[in-house]
Amino acid sequence: MNAPDRYERFVVPEGVKKVSYERDTKIINAASFTVEREDHTIGNILRMQLHRDPDVLFAGYKLPHPLQYKIIVRIHTTSQSSPMQAYNQAVNDLDKELDHLKNAFEAELAKHSREY
Amino acid sequence: MEGASHQRFPTVKIRELKDDYAKFELRDTDASIANALRRVMIAEVPTIAIDLVEIEVNSSVLNDEFIAHRLGLIPLTSERAMSMRFSRDCDACDGDGQCEYCSVEFHLRAKCLNDQTLDVTTRDLMSSDPSVVPVDFADSSSGFDNPENRGIIIVKLRRGQELRLRAIARKGIGKDHAKWSPAATVTFMYEPEIHINDDMLETLAIEDRISLAESSPTKVYDYDPITNRVVVVDPEAYTYDDEVIKKCESLKVPGLIEIHPKEDSFIFTVESTGAIKASQLVLNAIDILKQKLDAVRLSEDTVEADDQFGELGAHMRGG
Ligand SMILES: [Zn+2]
Repeated sequence: MNAPDRYERFVVPEGVKKVSYERDTKIINAASFTVEREDHTIGNILRMQLHRDPDVLFAGYKLPHPLQYKIIVRIHTTSQSSPMQAYNQAVNDLDKELDHLKNAFEAELAKHSREY
Repeated sequence: MEGASHQRFPTVKIRELKDDYAKFELRDTDASIANALRRVMIAEVPTIAIDLVEIEVNSSVLNDEFIAHRLGLIPLTSERAMSMRFSRDCDACDGDGQCEYCSVEFHLRAKCLNDQTLDVTTRDLMSSDPSVVPVDFADSSSGFDNPENRGIIIVKLRRGQELRLRAIARKGIGKDHAKWSPAATVTFMYEPEIHINDDMLETLAIEDRISLAESSPTKVYDYDPITNRVVVVDPEAYTYDDEVIKKCESLKVPGLIEIHPKEDSFIFTVESTGAIKASQLVLNAIDILKQKLDAVRLSEDTVEADDQFGELGAHMRGG
């Protein structure tokens, strides 16, 4: 009767920011990004992409609790970069990778349907 | 300041393709991308499924909610789903979920008039949209052919029993309710790299070589009686069960066979419920994943807020 709506798991409530950024107060070039209504799908690809960046000293994510529908991505970089720059770069690189993957799959699909 | 790109360029090779089945190789990427694709295919690619049922008459043996639940689970052809609206953010009907942009209406009327049991099936569901109808397994290429195809049975009626209802189908995703998942199964495995040390194999007796080849529960190896060697016939049949590794140890030749999963190569199997084609399911999953990435980009005001904070910080440090 008082069960929350199922869509609360993946729809960002009004007035809540999708991504919020919080600088680390003690370590320079370290920050946490709180991403609302996302899970391991986004968290893990971001983390792995960040690990490919040599300016990233640490990148990790956590899903604090299964009933809190958010992830926290923590990034620590060298002085050559910044958490925000590394984050943006990771998102851009993943986006381009998926573009490439889509083209590769469509090309294979065209090749495959021609053979029949 | 723009950083250097660390983008990858994945490659794809399709091995087998049917309407509701696809098998392909994905290379030059990592497990996080493979797993994200798998997760999106199962839980975030939208389809259309019955979500609201108004029962007018139901004198069947099944109660109303039982029938409503069954109707929800019927796969509907969902090519339209990607361009449809979710009813919760449809402004044409104020989230009522009753307009043509976000819903499809179905009617079902059935009554048994004689002593023969009447099967009420998905063929009795009348759709308001010819592109959104119950999946018909008869015309798929899956070899599910059945000359007397009668659809999926919903309920059986005896003489005098009747079922009359109106149903609204809406767009949704598997994360909301599994009835919206377009995927029957989506799996991927690492491609194994199997090395057999022939010098060590020489030290084994013939019967030990045969028993080594037979120690794998799946047919990965074969014993070649001409060369007296153990050969790999099907590396992908390996289920990472470690049986041959243990056998090597028990034969006192540890390391004779070494198996390494190739960390950047995956073999995907995708089975669809029939709501969308397996190939389309993969393409839609890539699109959805791209949309999700786009949604997690930093907004202008977040960047600005930090710039100000940065200046303030620099000012404070400077002062
Ligand atoms: Zn609507």
